[in-house]
Amino acid sequence: MSDKGSYSRKATRRLVLGAALGATLAYGGFAIAADAPPHLLETGSTLLYPLFNLWVPDYTKAHAGLEITTQGTGSGTGISEAISGIAQIGASDAYMSEAQMKKTEGMLNVPLAISSQMINYNLPGLNDKNLKLSGPVLADIYGGKITMWDDAQLKAMNPDVDLPHQTIIPVHRTDGSGDTFIFSQYLSSSTPSWSSSVGFGTTISWPAVQGGLGAEGNPGMVNAAKGNPYSIVYIGISFKNATSAAGLGEAMLQNKAGKFVLSSKETVSAAVAATADKTPTDERLSLIFADGDNSYPIINFEYAIVKQQQPSPDMAAAVREFLEWAIKPDGGNSAQYLDQVGFVPLPPAIAKLSATQLASIK
Amino acid sequence: MRFKTGLAVAAGALPASLVLIILFLTIYAWPAILFNGFQFVTSNTWNLGNLYSDPVMVNGVQISPGAHYGILFLIVGTLLSTIIALLIAVPVGVGAAVFLAEAVPGRLRLALSFFVELLAAVPSVVFGLWGYVVVIPFLGHYLFPFMISVLGFLPFFGGPPGSGYGLLTSGVVLSLMIVPLIVATLRDALVSQPAEAREAVTALGATKFEVVWKVLLPSQSRVLIGASILALGRALGETMAVLMVSGNALNYLPGNIYTPISTMAAFIVSQLDSALQDPTDMAVKSLAEIALILSLISLIINFLARILLSFEKQGARRATFA
Repeated sequence: MSDKGSYSRKATRRLVLGAALGATLAYGGFAIAADAPPHLLETGSTLLYPLFNLWVPDYTKAHAGLEITTQGTGSGTGISEAISGIAQIGASDAYMSEAQMKKTEGMLNVPLAISSQMINYNLPGLNDKNLKLSGPVLADIYGGKITMWDDAQLKAMNPDVDLPHQTIIPVHRTDGSGDTFIFSQYLSSSTPSWSSSVGFGTTISWPAVQGGLGAEGNPGMVNAAKGNPYSIVYIGISFKNATSAAGLGEAMLQNKAGKFVLSSKETVSAAVAATADKTPTDERLSLIFADGDNSYPIINFEYAIVKQQQPSPDMAAAVREFLEWAIKPDGGNSAQYLDQVGFVPLPPAIAKLSATQLASIK
Repeated sequence: MRFKTGLAVAAGALPASLVLIILFLTIYAWPAILFNGFQFVTSNTWNLGNLYSDPVMVNGVQISPGAHYGILFLIVGTLLSTIIALLIAVPVGVGAAVFLAEAVPGRLRLALSFFVELLAAVPSVVFGLWGYVVVIPFLGHYLFPFMISVLGFLPFFGGPPGSGYGLLTSGVVLSLMIVPLIVATLRDALVSQPAEAREAVTALGATKFEVVWKVLLPSQSRVLIGASILALGRALGETMAVLMVSGNALNYLPGNIYTPISTMAAFIVSQLDSALQDPTDMAVKSLAEIALILSLISLIINFLARILLSFEKQGARRATFA
């Protein structure tokens, strides 16, 4: 009988399996024991995403072994993944609410730069003109009270523009969005009826407007405007190249002093100068609708939402050092990076507050 | 003996997991079910409330001020898009199944059937992407305005053509996904009909069309209904493709068939991140309530379909010859 043959076959099989198992365990153990370089995940705001994509390649080239993955998923996701610990750095245009700060202890909101938001539109033939719009008018458009481009209020604000008799298509963000947060804060600060009925937030209950569209992310907003004539959108300044390439028009917004301004380094800096000194130590402050003749009304701190307590000292050091580099005027906050996305560097006082918060990461 | 118990445990794990999923959803969503009550399915307003104000106590639960959860527009959107998908898929599916079963010789039938069934293998997100890039511009710029000029006098067919994202687009994309199901089931049923049935009716002088239309199809009506209900169940749960072409309407019902809509499955995906911002968790629990309602509807529909189709299998064995 083949007893001897089957015995040696079984033995060989067991030997091979055992060797394979042993090798896998040894390799796995070796990998864990050896110094695995930290791998950071940054996720969140699509407004901040282009800047992270400029920072990360240069920083990781200078710091061999460190890997940072960036994602553009919306400020809402940035905040929730930073809270849950999935992402080490949550990028957000919106600071966390008081209730969220109380619910989750030990979260830091660290401003990294100052950005702004554009109101863009797709008016065939008129996209090279800068239409004048105000907070109350935008609130009425997104509230469904102004439905046509040649409405009396729009014509009164833009007497020298031949506005077409077409339905306005207001486009909003469907994902939890920091852009929604700052846009709705502009509407709330300038329009009491919007403030009491809809309010502001990363997600708000948009009034029902027939034909109104939803889009995901800033790139989605650009596409929605490009594909839909007579639409109006709110898009972060870091997408100005995309909106210009798509041929979209940009609006001049009415600020608190009643003047109509376009977003630029000067107008954003003017707004920063008027508001930044009110910044508290936890740096959760809205910069919307600032005083000043030359202030652009929709500007905001770009936040890194970070847990104070990181899972390991290596991780904490990696996060802290990267963010400390990001806020340095000769590091991430230099013109070589910020000019490409249209952002403005942090004033020295704010940078100091950010550095204090970052030092507490362990 | 140990093998038998092991097998029993493994086999029992499957129905157990189904029960556990429903149980988990119910337990997790229970506070939301209590808070929302029946107006959850009759109210047309989904409002997360003011997430940046402090939570308030309403009816004994903590919620964000102004929070109100109503999903009527989701139920309407889901039902309308599935009905439109079926209205397109059933005639096309029946036609394709009849063609494959009756008008095509053996080897060609195998090849063509293979292709139709491969359509079911395409991931739904691919359908969504194709819909987004190809279908929407075509529909929005050409087909919808044409339909309005020709059919605009009918209710729901007139009005602004919109941007191409909407109810009809979702229905079209969904129908492509459920057609293979109908074709495959019906074609198998038609092919399995005994040749004597066809020969008997042909001997009485029926044309090929009459054979199909008056004898074969009516005898397979239960299979067709069962397959359609199965397809309905598939279309109800379809998430990614609809998310990309439906336009994501919020808080309003469609005024015509070109208007944006939202379906329950797509809504859960698109709103999850926002709901996680709610410090009181009531928003996520309300999303879980939507998931529970969707699961129960889908389970009931699939159950009905399976029963109908299993009757037919038993019936076919009995009805050999009258």
